[in-house]
Amino acid sequence: MTSGELDPLIHVPTRLKIVATLAALPDGDALSFTRLQDMIGLTPGNLIIHLRKLEEADYISSKKASNGTVSITKVALTGHGRAALGTYTKALRDLLGGL
Amino acid sequence: MNHTSDTTAAENGGNFDPQQAADLLDQATRQARRTFTPLTPLLWVFRAVVALVAFGGYWLSVRGRDPYSAPGGGLLAVIFVLVAINILWSTWAITRAGAGVSGPAQRKRQAWLGVMLVVWIVAYAVTAPLYHAGAGHPVWGLYPANAPLLIVGVAGAATAAVCNYWPMAGITLALGIVAAVAGFGGPAGAWLILGIGLCAVMLGAAAFTAWQQRRGVVRP
Repeated sequence: MTSGELDPLIHVPTRLKIVATLAALPDGDALSFTRLQDMIGLTPGNLIIHLRKLEEADYISSKKASNGTVSITKVALTGHGRAALGTYTKALRDLLGGL
Repeated sequence: MNHTSDTTAAENGGNFDPQQAADLLDQATRQARRTFTPLTPLLWVFRAVVALVAFGGYWLSVRGRDPYSAPGGGLLAVIFVLVAINILWSTWAITRAGAGVSGPAQRKRQAWLGVMLVVWIVAYAVTAPLYHAGAGHPVWGLYPANAPLLIVGVAGAATAAVCNYWPMAGITLALGIVAAVAGFGGPAGAWLILGIGLCAVMLGAAAFTAWQQRRGVVRP
């Protein structure tokens, strides 16, 4: 196996951090955009670009919730995304074991 | 971070090597676990100290006395302050860890905390009528020392298991077992067994939490 076979959507530092952070939550739980931004340390614009790519691949889902005046965006890892991270992790282990 | 060069490089086969990726994945996972874990190892160690000081102090004040006399005001003040710090610290930690988190597991955790709060209050509230009725030495020694923690332990383990909150189910079950065993220590010995037993359970919880947080994904 080569590093080229690693999932290119996840094999990007920022997106790997996003996916790993969301995977630390229990299955089905979501994180607010602002808390995720705080943990990853990105500007809102940069974070949105990465989240959009992950959402297009159905690795994450996002929902907008409104409580009257404030609207909150919540982001969660999908089952597909969790499985993709599992596959990516296994590939990394195989790759590093073979080095 | 330069988003454009980052993504382009990686999508072209990139220069983000697997070793770096493994390090980053482990590091990000550890950081996220630390952030989302409300009861940190340090908080568990503090609780271990509280259990040892409170129950051990109680044992020192009641051993060899029949009938019981209340522990000194100094000890009660220390216990009160330690318990108050524990409640404030726990509340702050739970609020901080859960900030921005929503979903079924989070709702279950909050419901579990609500149930446990009621169980704690009910279990200890029964000591007030006992005091009012002028209960004797063995009753005072055994009920307040053991029964509330036995109730809290069993209820906590059962409800945590229902919520699939397994580490907490294990910790509360251990708490219930210590309380049950302490009953055999008699009215005074029960307090000592609880102090040592609970301290050991809390230290075990601290060690387990620290291990869980340090465990990597790529290199477990």
